[in-house]
Amino acid sequence: MRAAVGILAATCHLPQHKRSVEDLFREEGANFSADVAARLGIKQVPLQNGDASETASNMAVAAAQKALQRAKVDPLTVNVVVEYSIMPQEYLVPVWNMSNKVQAEVGASKSFVVGFSGGGSSNFMVALSSAAAMLSENDSMKTALLVTGDTTIPGNRVLNPDDPVTVMGDGASAVVLQRDAPGGVVIDTELWSEGNHHDICYIPGGSLIHPDDMSLYRMQLDKARYDAFPKADTLRRMSDKLLERAGLKFSDVACLLCSNISAQDEAAMQQAFEDKVSPVCAPNRESHGHLQGTDFPLNYLSLIESGSVKQGDYMLSVSHGMGVTAAVSLLRC
Amino acid sequence: MNQNIGILEANYYLPPTKKTLAQVFEDEEKPTETFAANVDFEKDIGIDALHVAKNETAADLCINAARRTMEKSGIDPKEIDLIIDFTSIPEDYVAPTWSAAGQVQKAIGATRAFATAINTGGCASYQTTLKVACSLMSANDRYNTALLVAGDKTPEFNHNYFPITVVSDGGSAVILKKNMTKRRILGVEVATVGRLHDMWFIPGIHNRKPEDIGGKYPRWLHVCGDVQRFNKELIPINLFMFRKVIQGVLKQVGKKMQDVSYFVYPTFSTWDLKAFSTAFNVPPERMSGAGMHHGHLQETDMVVGYVDALEAGRIKDGDLVMLATNGAGFSWGASLVQH
Repeated sequence: MRAAVGILAATCHLPQHKRSVEDLFREEGANFSADVAARLGIKQVPLQNGDASETASNMAVAAAQKALQRAKVDPLTVNVVVEYSIMPQEYLVPVWNMSNKVQAEVGASKSFVVGFSGGGSSNFMVALSSAAAMLSENDSMKTALLVTGDTTIPGNRVLNPDDPVTVMGDGASAVVLQRDAPGGVVIDTELWSEGNHHDICYIPGGSLIHPDDMSLYRMQLDKARYDAFPKADTLRRMSDKLLERAGLKFSDVACLLCSNISAQDEAAMQQAFEDKVSPVCAPNRESHGHLQGTDFPLNYLSLIESGSVKQGDYMLSVSHGMGVTAAVSLLRC
Repeated sequence: MNQNIGILEANYYLPPTKKTLAQVFEDEEKPTETFAANVDFEKDIGIDALHVAKNETAADLCINAARRTMEKSGIDPKEIDLIIDFTSIPEDYVAPTWSAAGQVQKAIGATRAFATAINTGGCASYQTTLKVACSLMSANDRYNTALLVAGDKTPEFNHNYFPITVVSDGGSAVILKKNMTKRRILGVEVATVGRLHDMWFIPGIHNRKPEDIGGKYPRWLHVCGDVQRFNKELIPINLFMFRKVIQGVLKQVGKKMQDVSYFVYPTFSTWDLKAFSTAFNVPPERMSGAGMHHGHLQETDMVVGYVDALEAGRIKDGDLVMLATNGAGFSWGASLVQH
């Protein structure tokens, strides 16, 4: 990349209402044992309460407005709105995408919009990498607004109830990226996908194959294939490759942010990454559950607020998602 | 942006089964709204028949197009660094959770590639995807070859996109490569008017009404268009927005309108083609779409128009080619390819 691109501001917009994981398990007919509780490490998740202000796109608009204010960026100077949601939106994607609504409602009328599908929790890093590339390679582009809003399917918050993997909450987030921003510099991103597992986690009903089968309109996971996929090792291998490309060693990295999937997932990351996962991730996971693409902005904000990293420190962000995909971003604080 | 990224190869796949336009109009629900343009939608559209996929899935259409393009290019699938799906209508499974990109990666054996999908722009997703793909390739030394792929299977009984067009099923693929001396992508310009986001959409299974199910015209996955707003809010700005992206991309690369030898434009309808041709003073022989024999193919129109023009010898060495389109959202896009 020619010009450095960095994060000017990040925000989250989460519903006020929270539900305990125990309640959700009961509601969804899943067995909540002590073993499951320990593996998940999630106590409660934010959930929309049916209020119009808490639709996915309205929360995304609120997050975007806050991020632009925090970054002190005039919406008219935004060149591109990049959307990274994972859950179904108000209307069917790709015919409709909330990025158009966000563009209109924040007043970014001189921008164009782009959204990404199919990467699960890695979608954020796909968006980050693509936005950084557009800002660094196009002289006419300086500022990008990255945004998401995800609301889970009612009755489908516990992923794979027979052997739960995570509990998903609702929320939105936004990140303002700018060329020549002083901090949060996006140095590089390594992306990986394994198409053999394109259907490891997906929503079978509601599109062309099963258009009218409401019973299939829920996120399904093939747990055996999910478990067999070497997530932490893949991410470590990718991180080493990325660091080598940047001329850095793993010992140069101050800390690592991971997705808030479960305590079990985080433990695997701690092991693969030599206990460098930041302590901010665990409490965010306990109090919010897995918020899809919003996990990164949530953890990033906590990391910055914690004061545990100083300017110039290197950090990694790692994520694995459906598709299956894996992504690692290297940032300089 | 690196201006040595070019189109190594492009091709498309259309399912062999065809359906006459008369049959489409007989089978499908007739819109009752009036259309502002002074045309008879059914008689004047200029498309005789549509390609209709039978047992093939939307992903099959993508994969068939990808395979044809790979074969034509002669490159090894393992050379591909990026796969980007730019399909613009509902896919086999619900997006954005799923995209066909991973399935394409698996089917063609592009084991080194990263697969993702771009889900904005409607028919202009071609331009949005070009912009992102070229930026990613330009910014990253490790991305040398990208495969852009799309496959559209129209939901049953929804081929009539009144008042815009009638739509065919099909797939397309484009291989981009660095260090090209011909077919170089000089620039891409995209613009979006987000306030029109709710003028053209498909309700999901979660917000369909019981009356949409079954009956003579089951409407699962059918597009909902607000024709009144279409007349009032889209038509008046359409050519203005085209001018904006066309002038934008010309300015980006220091070219003038008169430098453009050939235009690839979507096959919406004869009246739409004529409006563009008149507004930009482009004679029909310098535009794709004449005859409109395949029907409208969403974002794949850009690839079909380009490939057909190349094969017919309408684009020659040294020509500057403009590909311009608009799409749901609403977005407009224009790109310039130097032959």
